[in-house]
Amino acid sequence: MNFLVDLALVTATCLALGLVSKYLRQTSIPVYIIAGILLGRSGFDLISSYNFVEWLGKIGVILLMFYIGLEFNFKGIKEPGRLFAGCTDFGVNFTAGFSLGLVIGLTLIEAFILASAVYISSSAIVISSLIENKRLIYPEAETVVWLMVFEDIMLAILLVVLTSIMADSLAMIPVSLAVTLLLIVFISVLIRGLSIFISPLFERDDEIPILLIFALIFGFSALAYLLSVSEVIIAFFLGSALSGVKSFKRLLGTTIAFKNLFLIIFFFSFGMVLQFQFVTLSSADFLLALLALITLSILGKFASGALIGKRLHGSLETGLRVGAYTTPRGEFSVVLLAVVLGMGTGISELLSSLVVAYVILLSLIGSYFAKHGDRVGKAMMVCINTARTRISELLS
Amino acid sequence: MRISELPEIGTKYEIESPKGDKVAVIFLTTGEIELYVLEAGAEKPSVTRLTSEEARRLGSVLTGAMLTIEREDVEVSFSEISDIRINIHICPVTKGMVGKSIEDLAIRKRTGVTIIALSRRGRSIISPPPETVFEEGDLIVMIGEREQIKVCTKEILGQV
Repeated sequence: MNFLVDLALVTATCLALGLVSKYLRQTSIPVYIIAGILLGRSGFDLISSYNFVEWLGKIGVILLMFYIGLEFNFKGIKEPGRLFAGCTDFGVNFTAGFSLGLVIGLTLIEAFILASAVYISSSAIVISSLIENKRLIYPEAETVVWLMVFEDIMLAILLVVLTSIMADSLAMIPVSLAVTLLLIVFISVLIRGLSIFISPLFERDDEIPILLIFALIFGFSALAYLLSVSEVIIAFFLGSALSGVKSFKRLLGTTIAFKNLFLIIFFFSFGMVLQFQFVTLSSADFLLALLALITLSILGKFASGALIGKRLHGSLETGLRVGAYTTPRGEFSVVLLAVVLGMGTGISELLSSLVVAYVILLSLIGSYFAKHGDRVGKAMMVCINTARTRISELLS
Repeated sequence: MRISELPEIGTKYEIESPKGDKVAVIFLTTGEIELYVLEAGAEKPSVTRLTSEEARRLGSVLTGAMLTIEREDVEVSFSEISDIRINIHICPVTKGMVGKSIEDLAIRKRTGVTIIALSRRGRSIISPPPETVFEEGDLIVMIGEREQIKVCTKEILGQV
């Protein structure tokens, strides 16, 4: 009955720390990771079956990506300036992460992973802070939400690329890429073809719809596993294929409930399996790298936000607000790292510790920025304006 | 009116007045509805969150008043079927009507209005049959479209 003790420990610790974070009005994602670190390998080592908790956590990632795929909506791409916004966000922040990765001595692939983690904001934190801070009436809210959608597309692409380039040998890269793409096409065609049969099943009032969802999710994940394709990517495309089935909308609430529970276990399990070496963590090099990474990430989002604001809304201040809102990083950076670590090929401990510390800190700092986005924007404008007048005074 | 999809949040309906005031209604994916009002030049919007029931009521009021009381007229509109408006008119019988039945006056044939109730010495008769004869002091309740009621007050009641 050990698994019951494990489950009780996981849920009770997450509940307690989660409550604390809500009470302090903080985002709860880092808290669950910290709960995992406390009870796991680097902490008190209280979990008896790491495998069991990890498996549940894997379900969480699969459900998260399934949900993202489900909510995914391509339509917005046609609106003017949006493609520009998405690409600017990617260009600025990915480049920043990649160059810093190379500077601190990571390999090319590791720098690529770091850059992806730096680029992707946390949709969960960003969106909830937009609602909580009553920003939805402002035009920049649409831009920010769109950026989150664009990042979802990029996440899927980055995952496909990453899992392919990390394939065993160089010759395997095109093969694994081809298998992944074929499987994606297969899923979309299959779901579209079967939608006449699936659709009425989702309209039933018994247990069949929920069974069907999980049969589809686990079925395709298993197929992905057998073909050595990332099940996370497949879950995303399965979700986006199912979003075309109209009657599925009814099950969204149930899916979200399962996703939320298992995702928390995922965050926990992620923190749990980490093996932190406190010597590494407290070394000056590590702290310096972390500090540089955080500073660069914040500046990166403000820079891309400013460019986007100028182009889409004709206002620097709006742009700075966009930057402030998109600063939080969170679940996707962790998912990315977890998927990569799950492949089990030589990721240095430096990188994984760096990303974890980074996510924990930047989700907290970022949600502060997101929460006070308008004030941050205003304050930065004041600074910029005084700087401008100073410079013009000096020049004249 | 601008409609935009906000993935993972919901759907936003936005309207801007010539003065620059903005009103936005956001249907959240949670099923609740947020109502934003941003006055032109204001620092922060006012926001309230409504349940779907509250939003429906508010909607009925905004679509042209659920209940407009105008003398003894009541107009009822239904939130589900917004194009149906029923006018209810309450009035005492006039001298020309006393001693005649609903059938004699051919109220429905001539005006399209239906008498749905009658109040006589403190008692009510719901759905009076066509042979019902009007007496002095009766109060009648009729329903119909606004135009039909107008015709009826003129032709049957003899009022202008």
